Amino acid sequence: MGELRRDPVVGRWVIVETENPTQPEDFDKEDHTPKQEAKCQFCYGREEQTPPEIEAVRPKDSRPNAPGWSVRVVPNKFPALRIEGELNKRGVGIFDMSNGIGAHEIVIETPDHRKSMADFTNEELFEVIKKYKSRCLNLSQDKRLKYVLIFKNFGESAGASLEHGHSQIIALPMVPKYVLEELEGAIDYFEYRGRCVFCDMINQEYQDKDRIVTENKDFISFCPFAPRFPFESWIIPKEHSAHLEDMSDEKLYHLACILKEMLYRLKVALSEPSYNFFLHLAPIHYEHKESYHWHIEIIPKLTQIAGFEWGTGFYIVSTPPDAAARQLREVPAGTHGAEARKN
Amino acid sequence: MPELRKDPTIGRWVIISTERARRPGVFFDRDDNTEEEQDCPFCEHKEDQTPLEIHAIRSAGARANDPGWKVRVIPSINPFLRIEGNLNRRGYGLYDVMNGVGAHEVIVETPQHIANIADLSAPQIELVLQTHALRINDLEKDPRFKYVLAYKNYGHLSGGGRIRHSRSQLIATPVTPVRVKEELVIAKKYFEFHDRCIYCDMIRQESEAKARIVAECEHFIALTPFASRFTFEVWILPKKHGCDFAKANTQGYHNLAVILKNVLSKIKAGLNDPAYNFLIHSAPFRRHSGKGHQWKTIEEDYHWHLEIIPRLTRVAGFEKGTGFYICSIPPEETAKFLREVPI
Repeated sequence: MGELRRDPVVGRWVIVETENPTQPEDFDKEDHTPKQEAKCQFCYGREEQTPPEIEAVRPKDSRPNAPGWSVRVVPNKFPALRIEGELNKRGVGIFDMSNGIGAHEIVIETPDHRKSMADFTNEELFEVIKKYKSRCLNLSQDKRLKYVLIFKNFGESAGASLEHGHSQIIALPMVPKYVLEELEGAIDYFEYRGRCVFCDMINQEYQDKDRIVTENKDFISFCPFAPRFPFESWIIPKEHSAHLEDMSDEKLYHLACILKEMLYRLKVALSEPSYNFFLHLAPIHYEHKESYHWHIEIIPKLTQIAGFEWGTGFYIVSTPPDAAARQLREVPAGTHGAEARKN
Repeated sequence: MPELRKDPTIGRWVIISTERARRPGVFFDRDDNTEEEQDCPFCEHKEDQTPLEIHAIRSAGARANDPGWKVRVIPSINPFLRIEGNLNRRGYGLYDVMNGVGAHEVIVETPQHIANIADLSAPQIELVLQTHALRINDLEKDPRFKYVLAYKNYGHLSGGGRIRHSRSQLIATPVTPVRVKEELVIAKKYFEFHDRCIYCDMIRQESEAKARIVAECEHFIALTPFASRFTFEVWILPKKHGCDFAKANTQGYHNLAVILKNVLSKIKAGLNDPAYNFLIHSAPFRRHSGKGHQWKTIEEDYHWHLEIIPRLTRVAGFEKGTGFYICSIPPEETAKFLREVPI
């Protein structure tokens, strides 16, 4: 029999199949062989095909929008939201609307068209994560904006239309619904118990142990008790913190290490699945930082969201999180270690 | 300029993107499925390959689980929830858990090997809808259940699996699902404030505006919602107020069958037979035993409806992280396109 489990933050129930878990080899496999390299706008020498760069990591003697960079941040050529203009909120009968003010930026993570994030060195990923932080700090100064979402789509079935490694940053003029649900759930919990619900979750994961995948000095990664998707995992700072902005460079380096390790474990355990990850951070200038705890959610794209999920918001998870965590833990440490040493 | 629009029935913001639009028709590859008819367990004369039927529409005198049926209801071979046992609600540290008790039924919509319900006759679709209502009313007798979702997954990308035989599903859940509850809460608040049903107000406004109407008849209206989550999303609503699909009068199912066939045929013809989901949002069970239900004004404030979601784009990290959706063609354009598709 399956189990119904409730997420303690947002109160969402999920159905977890506990008797006949789906095994990694049962999911559809996806081919990630590069096909777009010949005309990829994110490769060296095609810098003029993107809008002019906002920031880049490049040697002192190299010019902006020329080759030589190792990480490059550019505006999205086809932005979901536009940065120019005043926010104009209005009503149309019973409907509310606003013009689409916001920012939509692309972080090109590497000049190497064929390198996926799971194969980055810790140092390479550290540079990308530092850019996440600096873009957050910069966008926080725009008074029209309320929230910054940093996310990555890897693989066509996870929504990536370009195969060259990139992450995206979308800054919004309102706090989005799923984040609001987390913030409200965390405030309710804090008012009731005087503690952060995420800190309590970390403590329980330490006691139970079976959902933990890995940890380092500053971060822990586990498969959540009531996940939405099979092999969903979270990375969360051990010490309470509401925002990436509060993280020292040392902590950001440890974040790079654990993110790289998790993506590598997913790649080996599930034959390089497509995936999404996103950072859930506190909103810009958030007042209730004591109750909210930022984290990364990594979601391999293994199953299709179907009518039942759309209609109910109930998710059906065919691999229980303890089984998923075990399979991710069992990825030979030697492989990962050797990979890390080689880098 | 893109627009941000808010769905008043659920409080969800979406981004209506104009710049990212692609032309309808060149949207997505046709959903390919490889299964062969001879392997289909849902065809007539293969009754012994499915679990024993729960209900069937068949001519008088014909025996259960024999050929000669028109619509057939069977338990799911691979149920998400099981009918046996009690809920056993319990806590597990921080988390809440209960047993996965529920019902999961499959409604085989035709004895012939036809994939898309759009290709069935209107009288046949009417039988399917009547069967849904009958099964929902029967499941209401089980006091463990609070809600039944009727839905369809058509095509592999929609979660419909590899077998093409036209069928839909019912899942009875022991809790009212979160997406439904959000609609109910907002409908109730709107009613408290205005003494009117928010959906009736929406139908009035859409009837005057006309721009988002796809099709209509005396009893139903089909429209692309103002704040569509998905490109070519269509809702079908009864013009006469009613909160419960399963308690609609018999004539209603005939008219719903006609307009549903019309809209799904337009989607099939205009968009190259895409995968889609549809689902029916109806009031939860309202049993007046014990504490009674919490939705005192639901008969007046809630309005059942059917949501159709063509699966033309991928759900990516942004949507999963925020609950915000990016709709790449304004609903006014998709409504116009569908209105003009000849069928």
